[in-house]
Amino acid sequence: MNPSLANRLTIGFAIAFAILTGLAVIGVGRFLQQRQDYENATARSYQLEIAARNRLAHGQGPQAARANIIAQHEHRQALSDDISGETRDTALLVGAGLIAGLTGAALLFSGLIASMRRPLEELVDASGRLAGGDLGARVKVGGLSETAVLGSAFNEMADELQRRAGERDQLDRMKDEFVLTASHELRSPLTSVQGFAELLMLERERLSPKQADTVEIILDNTRHLVRLLNDLLDLARSDAGRLAIKPAPTEVGSLVSDAVKTMRGQTESSQQTLSESVEPGLPLVKVDPDRIRQVLVNLLTNAHEYCPERAAIKVTATLDDAGVKIAVSDDGPGMPEDQLEHIFDRFTRGDAGLTQRVGGTGLGLAISKSLVELHGGTLAATSRLGVGSTFSIRLPPIADLDPEAAA
Amino acid sequence: MAKVLVADDSETILLLLRTRLEMAGYEVETAVDGQEVVEKLEAKAPGEGPDLLLLDAMMPRMSGIDALRKLRADGVETPALIVSAHQDEGDTASPTDLGIGGYLTKPIDFDLLLNSIAELTAG
Repeated sequence: MNPSLANRLTIGFAIAFAILTGLAVIGVGRFLQQRQDYENATARSYQLEIAARNRLAHGQGPQAARANIIAQHEHRQALSDDISGETRDTALLVGAGLIAGLTGAALLFSGLIASMRRPLEELVDASGRLAGGDLGARVKVGGLSETAVLGSAFNEMADELQRRAGERDQLDRMKDEFVLTASHELRSPLTSVQGFAELLMLERERLSPKQADTVEIILDNTRHLVRLLNDLLDLARSDAGRLAIKPAPTEVGSLVSDAVKTMRGQTESSQQTLSESVEPGLPLVKVDPDRIRQVLVNLLTNAHEYCPERAAIKVTATLDDAGVKIAVSDDGPGMPEDQLEHIFDRFTRGDAGLTQRVGGTGLGLAISKSLVELHGGTLAATSRLGVGSTFSIRLPPIADLDPEAAA
Repeated sequence: MAKVLVADDSETILLLLRTRLEMAGYEVETAVDGQEVVEKLEAKAPGEGPDLLLLDAMMPRMSGIDALRKLRADGVETPALIVSAHQDEGDTASPTDLGIGGYLTKPIDFDLLLNSIAELTAG
């Protein structure tokens, strides 16, 4: 058990109080004693003088009596001098004692303060580091019991925080591992379902129209399931930091026209216009072309699925001070503010009324955002109800990347 | 008629692959893991073996990659296609020295599969 500050303070006060009280008692006692002695001696001197005066009045040895009277006078003078000297000494002694006591008390308290300062400073420092995210911050436990208790409580709290952070990290890893494994395990049965449905469709002419439609539905849903699995896998990889990109200097124009080409069939079937406009002389961007094309196709798919027939969808690529911007905009229904806020959250999808015919997984934008950010870029959305929505990808131009990565 | 040895730990997928490949005119033999692939090839006289191996990357007992590694070490030159559940698997286990003719992911794109088989068995 460490000594307690309260105990030390109590003991310190008691000692200081005892010393000062003792000094006061001794001083006053000595002073009173000296006074008493002085008065007794003076009284005896007066008695002797009176006796001498009586003897002088009766004429008994006048010479000796006179001498005695003078002697008593001088004796009392000496006594008076003595007592003032002794009183001064006593006062000095008490004064010195007081000063010594107060100095001692001051030393004791400054010692106590000093003994608290180091652990307190250490605690302040460690708290700062812990708040800053250094979960390994600990203090040395020791010194007074109060700071020792505080220190060990701090350490316990830090241990607990570190343990919980570790558990959370482990849970995250388990979740990622689970999604990766689940997505892997689901692929074999899915392969069978899709494969046998395709097998049936190979003999379409032997199926009734109703049977053919049924198989078509199975295939549609299988494709949706595959898309969902791929999206989940991408998200899990992204969370686990395993979403790999293979960046290479890429032309923005070809990215845009590839994505537009992929989507052309779908937009035409809905009589939507799909246009592209790429500013001439754009610098190359260092991206994984497959991944950025995936993002563009995803944005275009959203525009296509959430817009009514005959809507206008366009892709524009421009350059400004912040870098290359590729924007996918439409003149569709747009989104209210509260929906726009959560548009990049997982499993967030547009208005329920529309999702009936929308085949998305609710993961596309979350993945797109991760992918663009993995390239050092940003993905942002603006929208106005009844006017349309715009999704903008910003990519840093090659000059902004470190020379080694751009090499 | 070209002969294909197909290995997958799922009986259903083996049936699917056998059906599709036989429809396309191939002679199909199956194995449930890499061990069986190696045993079947070892039991054959030279010149009797399959023209192509279609191996699942992940199988119990012995994976397709490990089976191929063993076969290549034994001097078996038969071209091979690897089927993996997803990209990651192909990426992490894609040795360049095993003479792998191509990778396919599940669910299998049969147009791609049949094209690859046709190319690898043409010579």
